[in-house]
Amino acid sequence: MTMGRRSILWISLVALAAWLVGAGPAQAQSTLEVVKKRGKLVAGVKTDFPPFGSVDAAGKNMGFDVDMAHLFAKALFNDENQVELVAVTSGNRIPFLQSGKIDIILATVTITDERRQVVEFSDPYFLSGSLLLVPKNSTVNGLEDLAGKTVAVVQGAIQDKDVEQLQPKANRVKFGKVSEAMLAVKGGRADAYAHDDILVLTLVKENPDLRATSKVFMPRPYGIAVRKGDTEFIKWVNGELAKMKKDGTYDRLWKKYFADVEGQLVRP
Amino acid sequence: MTSGPTAYSFEWAAIWRGLPYLIQGAGLTVFISVIAMVLAVLLGLVLAALSQAPGRWPRGVVRGYVEIFRNTPLLIQIFIVYFGLPQLGFRLSPFLSGLSALVLYAAAYNTETFRAGLEAVPRGQHDAAASAGLTPLQAMRFVIAPQAVRIAFPALGNNLVSLVKNSSLVSTIGMVELMFVANDISFNNFRTFEIYGAAAVLYVILVLGLTRLLGLAEVRLVRAS
Repeated sequence: MTMGRRSILWISLVALAAWLVGAGPAQAQSTLEVVKKRGKLVAGVKTDFPPFGSVDAAGKNMGFDVDMAHLFAKALFNDENQVELVAVTSGNRIPFLQSGKIDIILATVTITDERRQVVEFSDPYFLSGSLLLVPKNSTVNGLEDLAGKTVAVVQGAIQDKDVEQLQPKANRVKFGKVSEAMLAVKGGRADAYAHDDILVLTLVKENPDLRATSKVFMPRPYGIAVRKGDTEFIKWVNGELAKMKKDGTYDRLWKKYFADVEGQLVRP
Repeated sequence: MTSGPTAYSFEWAAIWRGLPYLIQGAGLTVFISVIAMVLAVLLGLVLAALSQAPGRWPRGVVRGYVEIFRNTPLLIQIFIVYFGLPQLGFRLSPFLSGLSALVLYAAAYNTETFRAGLEAVPRGQHDAAASAGLTPLQAMRFVIAPQAVRIAFPALGNNLVSLVKNSSLVSTIGMVELMFVANDISFNNFRTFEIYGAAAVLYVILVLGLTRLLGLAEVRLVRAS
């Protein structure tokens, strides 16, 4: 007890400042060169967002975004397994990219103006609106029914802001993961869970006690994201996307993952 | 730090913008922590005293409680209370779910801390109390417990500091406390270093305030004896 409280506080603040100053990862090279030199692509994908990114019973990553990651690895190294998949959530995917933990986000990122300020987006590769996931016997059919009700959203997902804007009378409760938001509906803690249509429709297939509402709101495109200013890398990504669309790879993936809910999706 | 695509420039403005919301979150952190502390200390005292009661059953029950709650992650306990119990038809509000998990977890540690304190009181004190004509309960209340609490106090302080920091885990069940607010802001403005840094500083301030109060309490405790 020889140090005063004030001096302890100052020492802590100085230590924190030192940590912050040392924290900026400066990297002048394009990520594309770094990845090629490393011989492996590190991609952030989701693990709780079927059919874009989920984990099968054997613990293996699967989904549309995961297949894309493998295709990028194949284009880079002629070996689709030269990719390391890192699990990210809606909340932490951009910090993961910014801090250099991943090279690229393939995790259902909806393109928004706010996000454009901090990452470089590819051309759109999917169009998603939003739907509500509700209990089977619920009377909720759309956002208009949610005044005074509790709506689950995932932190960092666009629906957090959408619901605030479109139904300000709803009480939003925010979770870190898809599974938690869905459990909140199952346990009666929330009256509805708002998220991307493709996810909601897929969850309904797996959970017979839940249903989806039918009115899609705010359709917007998904983009692949790389670090802000890395135009070389994003040009390469766009080139690969264009190739996939042209040679039928994209259509094959679409059929593989979306065929059974195709009718309910918004088409670009 | 300005060249290259990943250069990160520290932005004080992000902290000033987020600060009112962060402080609001810190308010709930203080609220839930203080209530949890009081309950966890009381529960810890009762269970520690129970573990000294004659017979095998009280000791066994307390032992079982401590082993279950001390040896499982707090996050699992929070999830069981919040997500698991409603499936069994038992639904607590988010606040009560988080609070009860925090109390049960911290009380397990406090029980051990107080038990160690009780057992550190010399045997002669029990005998002296008995020969002075006190019943076992009176002896516990007036002779043994006060000494035990004083012995246990520094370790108890550590438990309470942990409790404040552990309260950040209730952010996972939608409680809008400091950690939740930090996530919420940084997930939207992407100023990760600034916002978590500011939240860390707020936690430091809260814990320094707590240790200061505990220091004052300890001085009084020593003076009272």
